[in-house]
Amino acid sequence: MNKLDIFKNGVTKENPILVQQVGMCATLAVTTSLLNGIGMGIAVIAVLTGSNIVISLLRKFIPDEVRIPAFVIIIAAFTTIVDLLMHAYTFALYQALGVFIPLIVVNCLILARAEAFAFKNGVVDSIVDGLGMGVGYLVAMILLSSVREFLGNGTLFGINVLPASYEPMMIAIQPPGAFIILGLLIGLVNYLSRRKKA
Amino acid sequence: MNLISLFITSAIVNNIIFSQFLGACPFLGVSKKIDTAAGMGIAVIFVITLASVITYIVQKAILDTLGLQYLQTIMFILIIAALVQFVEMFLKKSAPGLYQALGIYLPLITTNCAVLGVAIINITKEYSFIEAMVNSVGTSLGFLIAIVLFAGVRDKVDNADLPESLKGSAISLVAAGLMSIAFLGFSGLQL
Amino acid sequence: MKNSYVRLGGILFLIAAISAGVLAFLNDSTKDLIAKNEAMAATSPEVLEAVMPGSVMFNDYADAALVETIKSENGKFVNLQTAVDGSNNELGYVVRTFSTVAGYGGDMELFVGISPDGKITGVNVVSHSETSGLGSRTTEPSFTSQFAGKDATAEITDFDAITGATKSSKSFLSAVNNAISIYDQYLK
Repeated sequence: MNKLDIFKNGVTKENPILVQQVGMCATLAVTTSLLNGIGMGIAVIAVLTGSNIVISLLRKFIPDEVRIPAFVIIIAAFTTIVDLLMHAYTFALYQALGVFIPLIVVNCLILARAEAFAFKNGVVDSIVDGLGMGVGYLVAMILLSSVREFLGNGTLFGINVLPASYEPMMIAIQPPGAFIILGLLIGLVNYLSRRKKA
Repeated sequence: MNLISLFITSAIVNNIIFSQFLGACPFLGVSKKIDTAAGMGIAVIFVITLASVITYIVQKAILDTLGLQYLQTIMFILIIAALVQFVEMFLKKSAPGLYQALGIYLPLITTNCAVLGVAIINITKEYSFIEAMVNSVGTSLGFLIAIVLFAGVRDKVDNADLPESLKGSAISLVAAGLMSIAFLGFSGLQL
Repeated sequence: MKNSYVRLGGILFLIAAISAGVLAFLNDSTKDLIAKNEAMAATSPEVLEAVMPGSVMFNDYADAALVETIKSENGKFVNLQTAVDGSNNELGYVVRTFSTVAGYGGDMELFVGISPDGKITGVNVVSHSETSGLGSRTTEPSFTSQFAGKDATAEITDFDAITGATKSSKSFLSAVNNAISIYDQYLK
């Protein structure tokens, strides 16, 4: 597989949210606004790429028997790094994302990439895989959060994009909206990929 | 807030799935049949409660006293992973019946964000030990309620005549959204 | 067999130790910024603006011993802080105190801002249990704004009480006057 294919694979064919449906908690919870969705997406890219790099560098050193605990420690360390940096430099975003920043550590996507890719491939490929999967995650977050903020608040990035006469569909930024809109988005992706095949 | 209202709030009003979104992966993954859903739910109650006791003590006795709060994430996830292993070994030896019923769900629980989520929330909300326990039991009971109810709904949905693209997780999410609307109604409870 | 366990444990320990070391270093280099962020978030922008216009946060008062002295001598006093602006210039004192005269729902708790030259800069209610719609109107700007600019070197006696809520208004005033007495006694 060449580098471009690895990257494209993560963004489209195996998109973590829209196709594999892993790491759902944060996806549903923080996509109430576009800014939060992008912030979370970037945090996940950082942890995923960082842990992919370290794990692929250490793959000869980590024995098979203890690879899972070793992955968990490395992922937790990167999560804490992101947590501390956001706490110090992007405080408003840190407060908005709350408990979902430390919870990146249990995002199944990251452990799955460590096990399925980084532990078996070289550093460069692992970086590309991390970025590809991460960007795929970010794209899905952007899609979901922009639809939710647009319908639920009439804004994008907090700026009004609809006339004042628009009555916001509150349900879109409340919990039910997260489930329903994500369900419909996945349905749309299924539909498009089926049409492409046919 | 008194303990009873804390319990009801954590179990129903702020339901872990429908309003906090913790544990969404197993919620969607292990809810195809009512009995497996119930098995998962009970295993989660067991692990969340145990994990909350241990992480609470570790936080107060070790991390807070030594000023090592920044190691919280690493410590908690290692405790949870070790605990799940331990529970699995213990059940295998001393309660084979229970192990057969719950065993297959245990490994899945390590990466269930509900466990870590509840442990962290107990600390950030500055609960006392008793409040933390009530919150943990209530929240995990809420998980059981949600996943069993959802499995019942899904049973019907999966047999419905649907457009091919909506089948599977797409329609499941929409169904979960409709159940979440029902749970929104509880937020009117005056506690 | 034994040896391989030791080796596995050792490798895991090594990974954990290096991770902890990296985190300790990062924690050390970010902790000042994080503490500042938390302090800025502790008080909402509306309260900051109402008590001391132009301030971005309230810092703990430098002389902690003095704060303890005031606490032991004045039972209604809660805390003394310094309001600072974005470039960390000190703008004045912020006294947090309960009222000395009870309202209908007990003592009210207030932030009172006092400038270094002895003028009240603003007042904000932290907590109260006055009757909603009557005594609670003491929390509104139309009532609280009359104190801004008043002299903080003498007790305030002359003020516009809210009609129908005299008792709440007097409770509010007593808290302001307690802040003034603290300023006069310890800070002037």
